[in-house]
Amino acid sequence: MASLSEEVLLVVKKVRQRKQDGTLYLMAERIAWGPEGKDRFTVSHLYADIRCQKISPDGKAKVQLQLVLHTGESTTFHFANESSALKDREAAKELLQQLLPKFKKKANKELEEKNRMLQEDPVLFQLYKDLVVSQVISAEEFWANRLGGVNNTDPTLFNNKQEVGISGAFLADIRPQTDGCNGLRYNLTADIIESIFRTYPAVKQKYSENVPHNLTEKEFWTRFFQSHYFHRDRINTGTQDIFSECAKQDEKGLKSLVVQGVKNPLVDLLSLEDKTLDEGYGVSTTQPSTSNANRTVKESSNYAIIKRFNHHSAMVLAAGSRKGETPADQASETSSTDGNSRDSDFFQPPVKKVKLQEAIEYEDLQRENRPKTVALNLKKSDRYAHGPVPLQSQQYTTSQDIINSVNYIRHEMANYKPNLTQVVSSTAASSAIVALSPGGVLMQAGAQQAINQMVPSEVQGELKHLYVAAGELLRHFWSCFPVNTPFLEEKVIKMKSNLERFQMTKLCPFQDKIQRQYLSTNVSLQVSFSLVCVLSVVKNGVR
Amino acid sequence: MKLNIEGLLVYFPYDYIYPEQYSYMLELKRTLDAKGHGVLEMPSGTGKTISLLSLIIAYQRAFPLEVTKLIYCSRTVPEIEKVIEELRKLMEFYSKETGESNNFLALALSSRKNLCIHPEVSSLRFGKEVDGKCHSLTASYIRAQRHSNPNLPVCRFYEEFDAVGRQVPLPPGVYNLDDLKDFGRRKGWCPYYLARYSILHANIVVYSYHYLLDPKIADLVSKELAKKSVVVFDEAHNIDNVCIDSMSVNITRRTLDRCQNNVDTLQNTIHKIKETDAAKLREEYRRLVEGLKEANVARETDIYLANPVLPDEILQEAVPGTIRTAEHFVGFLRRFLEYLKSRLRVQHVVQESAPQFLKDIFDKVCIDRKPLRFCAERLQSLLRTLEIADIADFSAVTLISNFATLVSTYSQGFTIIIEPFEDRTPTIANPVLHFSCMDPSIAIKPVFQRFQSVIITSGTLSPLDIYPRILDFRPVTMASFTMTLARTCLCPLIVGRGNDQVALSSKFETREDFAVIRNYGNLLLEMSAIVPDGIVAFFTSYVYMENIVASWYEQGILENIQRNKLIFIETQDAAETSMALEKYQEACENGRGAILLSVARGKVSEGIDFVHHFGRAVIMFGVPYVYTQSRILKARLEYLRDQFQIRENDFLTFDAMRHAAQCVGRAIRGKTDYGLMIFADKRYARADKRGKLPRWIQEHINDGSLNLTVDEAVQLAKHFLRQMAQPFRQEDQLGLSLLTLEQLQSEEMLQKITQIAHQT
Repeated sequence: MASLSEEVLLVVKKVRQRKQDGTLYLMAERIAWGPEGKDRFTVSHLYADIRCQKISPDGKAKVQLQLVLHTGESTTFHFANESSALKDREAAKELLQQLLPKFKKKANKELEEKNRMLQEDPVLFQLYKDLVVSQVISAEEFWANRLGGVNNTDPTLFNNKQEVGISGAFLADIRPQTDGCNGLRYNLTADIIESIFRTYPAVKQKYSENVPHNLTEKEFWTRFFQSHYFHRDRINTGTQDIFSECAKQDEKGLKSLVVQGVKNPLVDLLSLEDKTLDEGYGVSTTQPSTSNANRTVKESSNYAIIKRFNHHSAMVLAAGSRKGETPADQASETSSTDGNSRDSDFFQPPVKKVKLQEAIEYEDLQRENRPKTVALNLKKSDRYAHGPVPLQSQQYTTSQDIINSVNYIRHEMANYKPNLTQVVSSTAASSAIVALSPGGVLMQAGAQQAINQMVPSEVQGELKHLYVAAGELLRHFWSCFPVNTPFLEEKVIKMKSNLERFQMTKLCPFQDKIQRQYLSTNVSLQVSFSLVCVLSVVKNGVR
Repeated sequence: MKLNIEGLLVYFPYDYIYPEQYSYMLELKRTLDAKGHGVLEMPSGTGKTISLLSLIIAYQRAFPLEVTKLIYCSRTVPEIEKVIEELRKLMEFYSKETGESNNFLALALSSRKNLCIHPEVSSLRFGKEVDGKCHSLTASYIRAQRHSNPNLPVCRFYEEFDAVGRQVPLPPGVYNLDDLKDFGRRKGWCPYYLARYSILHANIVVYSYHYLLDPKIADLVSKELAKKSVVVFDEAHNIDNVCIDSMSVNITRRTLDRCQNNVDTLQNTIHKIKETDAAKLREEYRRLVEGLKEANVARETDIYLANPVLPDEILQEAVPGTIRTAEHFVGFLRRFLEYLKSRLRVQHVVQESAPQFLKDIFDKVCIDRKPLRFCAERLQSLLRTLEIADIADFSAVTLISNFATLVSTYSQGFTIIIEPFEDRTPTIANPVLHFSCMDPSIAIKPVFQRFQSVIITSGTLSPLDIYPRILDFRPVTMASFTMTLARTCLCPLIVGRGNDQVALSSKFETREDFAVIRNYGNLLLEMSAIVPDGIVAFFTSYVYMENIVASWYEQGILENIQRNKLIFIETQDAAETSMALEKYQEACENGRGAILLSVARGKVSEGIDFVHHFGRAVIMFGVPYVYTQSRILKARLEYLRDQFQIRENDFLTFDAMRHAAQCVGRAIRGKTDYGLMIFADKRYARADKRGKLPRWIQEHINDGSLNLTVDEAVQLAKHFLRQMAQPFRQEDQLGLSLLTLEQLQSEEMLQKITQIAHQT
C-alpha cells in the first residue's frame, strides 16, 4: 500500500503497538506503523481522520501516545526505546502538533457539512443507512455525488459558513503555572496562538518579522509574556522590548478609531450636550485631572488597565467580524479621508433617521398593518420538494360537454332496443359475470387498492426505502454514461456489481419475506421485479 | 384614535393607548385649564412625550387664544430630535384624519455647531470654535466694515437670509435639525438664524434647557417668546443642577492670567483707535451718558455678551461715570483683576457671602458696588466699539466681568469659596475661587413668573414634593403614575449580602474592604453567566470604579467574566467612551454579549438608553451619594436647611436615589422590554431609601427581595429571565395595559384609570 512518492518526515523505531514491536512512520499525509521485520503497515491513519492526540503524563513508567480518530476509535503507541523514549515521543508529538491542525480544518469542515446534511434530510439519512452502513457502496462514493451537487447548485450556502469568533477570555486561558523553581510556565495551544494573531495583528507582524530569523518561536513567546504589552498594568521599563512598538501601534489604532467617531448619533457622547457651559461657568465638581503629570503611579496603571480592557474587547469583536466588514470599512475610509465633513454630513442622515425612528417606535401601540400570514407547516416534506407537476395540455371537458353527453346517453337509453337474436352464449355470459364479481379477474384492480390496507405500514416503508435506494444506485449507474474514460468504465463495472450486490443483499431477502407472508399479493412486488428487469438490461448494456 | 379628554378632542396617532397615557393627559389638561404649573412623574417608556404633544396640540387647536405656543425643553440633542420626530408622526396623523394640511409650524433649535451649513465653519469640531468663527463673519460691525472693504470674508448664507429670509416666513411644517439644514441649503439661507428668527412665530419650539434657564442665552434667544406659552421641561429630574450651573462661576489662576492678557489687548486697541478714530470712542461715551440701552443697537448676531443676570435684575440706568470712558474702564478692570489675584494668594480656605466680598473689595481697592453691577454691560459695549472679531479670545475677561455683575447683584443665594489647593493634592497649589449659586429657584423663577403653565416631568421625580420646594413654586397638579403591566417586566432586587454573609455596601468605611469588592465581583460574574446579551453596571464614582476594576483584575475576576461576555468600561474621555459604547452595542447585537461598566452621574447614565437586549440587567453597585466633603455642597446643604427647611440627610438621600433610579431606569424603555434592576447595597433595603424610589419601581419590590445574597438573587433572576423569554404578544396586553378605544370608554376601565395617578 505504501506508495513510493510519499515523503517520510520522521521514523521512530522501537514503538510497540498491541504488544508488538515495530516502527512508527510520520509521513506527509498520514501516520503509519509497521511491525518489525515486515515491510507493510498494519496501522495507517490519515491526519485528517485524527481528532486529537493524547500523551501519558510525564511521571508514568510507560511513555505512550494515543491517537483518537473522528470515528471514536483510538490507537495507542508505546515508545519502548529505553534511552530515548521520552525524546522520541516528544519528537512525534511536536511534529503531529504541527501537522494535525493543517488537516483538521479541512476534515472538520467536510464532516460538519455532511453531518448537517444528514441531520436536515431524513430521506438522505435513510439512504445513507441503507447504502453505506450496509456497505453496498462506500461512504466516499456516496458523498462524491452529494457534496459536489451541493457545491454546484448552492455555492452561497457553502461559502456562507459562519466564521467562528474568538473567545473573549483567550488570554485568561493561558494560566501561568509555577514549575517549582522560580519560573513560570505558560501553555500555548495552536488555537490560542491563532487567537492572539487574529486579535492583535501587530503581534502577528512582529512574529513574521522575527521568527525564525532573530528569535526562536519559544523565545518569541517568552518575550511576549514578559512584555509590558502582555502585562499592561506594569509600567514600561525595558526599552529593548520588541512589543513596545506594538503597544504604540495599538494606541495609534485606538486613537484613529476614536477620531473617526461613531456612526450611531444616539451614542455619540460628544454631540449629546446641546450647549455646554463655557469654561469657567458651572459648579465645578472635583475636576478630573486628565493630565498625566498629575496622576499617581497607581492611577495611571488603573487607567492603563481600563484602556486595555476596552481595547481588548474592541479587538476581539473586530476579529470576529473582520472578514465581512472589509468593503464597508474601505467605503467609510474613503469618505473620511476627504477631510471635508461635508461628505459625512450627507451620509449621516439616513443612519440617524433610522435610529431615531427606532427610538420613538412603540410597536405595541400600533396595530400590525402587515397582512396576517399563516406559518408554513409541512407534514410531508418530500411532497413539497417534488413540487407541482408541470401543466400539460389536456383535453378538459366543460360542464356543457358533460350535460350534452349525459343527455345523449339518456336519449340512447330511451331508444334502446335489445336485439335478442344476437346475444352472447350463456357460458360466455356466466364467465363474464364471474370475472366481474368480487375476486374475479377483472376486479383485480379493486383488490389492488386494498393492498394499501392489507400490507402493514412498516413493510410499505421498507419497500419505499428499497425503492429510493435502488433509484439512488441507478442514478449513480446512469451518471456514468456515456462511458468515455477508463475511470468511468471502471465505475460502471463497480456500479454494476453494486447493483447486483444490492439485489442479493436487500431485494431478494425482502422478496422472500414478502412471498412467505403475503403469498397472494404478488402485485406489491412489482417494483422489485421491475428492478430485476432493469438489472438484466443493465448487464446487457455493459457487455 | 380620537380621544375625549374631559370634553377636549385629542388626536392620538396610535391604534391603542396605555391607560397611564390617558390618565396623564387628564392631569395635564387640568393643569392647563387652571393655567398653573404641574409636576408629573411617568415611567420611562410609557409614551410620555407623545401624550404630552397630543394633548397640548389639541388644546392649542381648541383654544388658540389661551395657549399660543408650546416650548418643549429637553436635555440632549438626540432627545430633541426624537421629540420632533414624534411630533411629525402626530402631524401626519392630523392631516390624514382631518384631510387638511394644518398650518402648524414646529421646529427644533440647537447651537450653531448642529445647524451651521457654511462649509468652513461647520467643519470645526468644537461648538465654541464654530460660534467664534460665525461671529467673526456675521457680527454687525464686521458687516459694516465690509461696506468699505468688500474683500473681507463673508458668510453668504447669513447675507442671503438677512436680505430675503426675514420677509418670507418659514412654511408650516415640522422641521428637525436636518430639515432646517436642508431647507437652508436649498434656499441658501443660514439655518441657525432662520430657526432663531422663526421660533418667534412658531407654534412649537423644541430646544435645550439652557435656552430658557441660562440668563446669558435666554436673554438673546427666548426674550420675546409669548407669555401665553406652555413650557415643558422633560427629563427634568436634574433641573435644579442646570439652574445652579448656569449661575455659577469658577476663577482659577489661569483665568486671571488670560484675563490679564485680554486687558492688555484692550488697552492697546484703545490706544490704536484713539489715534485713528477717536470719534468712535466719543460716540460710545455719549451713548453711555444718555443711557441708551444696548438693545437698540445690538444685532442678533452679536452673541456672547449677554448679561449674566436675570432680566428683572438688570438696572435701567445709565452707566456710572467712573467707568464711562474706555481708559477708565480698563483701569477699573485692572484694579479688579489685581484684587482677585491677591484673593487667590491665600493659604487657607476662605468662605464668605457676597456682601462680605463687596465690603472687602471696597475696603481694599475702593471699588463700589454700582460700577461692578455694570461691568458686564460696559464690557459688552466696549468690545463692540473696538470691533473685535475674535470674541472667543476674550472669554476670560468676559467671565470676570460676569462674575463682577453677578456678585454685586445678588446678595442672597450665592456663596464665595476660595480654595488654595485641591483636597486630594494638598501639596500642589492650585487656587480656585468658586462663586457658586446655591438656590436653583433664582434661575428658574422668571420662567415660572412669565409663562402661564410650566410642566416639569420625568420618569424619575420621586419624591415629588421636593421639587416644588427647592424650585420654590406652587404647582396646581402633582401626580405620579404607575406602569400598568400585563407581565411584570421589571425585577428590582436588593442584594445586601455576599454568599459568605458579608454585608455589601459602598459606604465609606468598607469601601476598600476586599471582601466587599470580591463579593461585588462575584455578583457581576454570576450575572454575566445567566443574563443574555447586555449588562450595564454603574458605580458610585469614577475613582471608585477605577479601584474596583483594578482589584478585580488582580483577583482574576475580570478574566472569568470575559469568558461569558466582553467588557467595556467608561472612561473620562467622551470620545473614547462613545467608541466603547458603540462596540458594546455591536457586541450585544451580534449575540456575543457584553458588560458596560459605567458611572452614575456620568454621561452614559444621563443620556444613553439601553433598550431591549442592550440592557437586560442593570447593576447599581452602591448608593451614588454625591461627594459630601465638597465645601460647595456643604454650603448648599446649609442654605437648603436654612431657607427651605430641608434636612441635609433628606436632600442627600433624595439626590442619591434619583441618580440610582435614573441608572436602573435606563434598562426599561417600554412594556415589551424587560430587565433586571439589581441594587447591590444593603442600605437600599431601608425604608428611607426605598421610599424615595419612583413608585413604578417601588411597587415591584416585595419583602422577599429586600436583603438577598448573591446566590438568592441569581435564583430569582434566572426564574425571571426564563419567564420573560416566553413570547409576549399584543393580545396578552390588550385590555390590561393596552386599550382600544372601546375598552377605554368602558365605565369599569375609567374607574381603574383614576387609580393610576397617585396624587400627592
